[in-house]
Amino acid sequence: MEPRRTKYYLDKQNAKWMGVCSGLADYTGIDVMWVRLGTVLLTLMGGFPWTLIAYVAAGMMAKPKPTDLYVDAEESRFWQGVRANPARSTRDVRASFRDLDRRLADVELFYTSRNTSLADEIESLR
Amino acid sequence: MEDILVPIIIVATLFIGLPWLILHHVTKWKTSASLPVEDERLLDDLYEFARRLEDRMHTVERIIAADNPEWRPAIRNDRDIESDPRIGTPYERSK
Repeated sequence: MEPRRTKYYLDKQNAKWMGVCSGLADYTGIDVMWVRLGTVLLTLMGGFPWTLIAYVAAGMMAKPKPTDLYVDAEESRFWQGVRANPARSTRDVRASFRDLDRRLADVELFYTSRNTSLADEIESLR
Repeated sequence: MEDILVPIIIVATLFIGLPWLILHHVTKWKTSASLPVEDERLLDDLYEFARRLEDRMHTVERIIAADNPEWRPAIRNDRDIESDPRIGTPYERSK
């Protein structure tokens, strides 16, 4: 079975310790610096020891991210959008198909109209 | 009478009402936010198709533009401008 794209993974490539914060950043699309800063602030402002327990529990339970999950950064960004709001991403995909349809229609129109002008020229030569 | 009733109400809200509330929201969140496996795969396929078709369309447009100087493909995004210096920005074209 292929790996899910809407699951939470540990990001071991950009990890500082266990990759929980970088995984969260990768999941949501928030900059990893802010995630780490938020975690540290939460711990200092009375979250201790619960944030630490949650961190270690997440680090133990979540799987590391498969290295070939996304082809490039654009695909990774797309799936971040899907995780945040699937309906909007679906609309985006539909919009890109509509855009393709318009471009193809332009090409079609160009060739069909050119052929009629060519036919007109042949007609005038007779 | 009140001495018995008040603790009972507090215990009931704490041990029945609160978990109920949390579980209710957890189940609601799970059904609404997550994408079913088949929908995820479908969206993945559609996204890939859109990207591939866009690349092909781009190639076709460039070939046509090379053969027919009078035809200018409409600019859709920044990538079009970058990859085809002939096109120029919309502002330049409108001049």
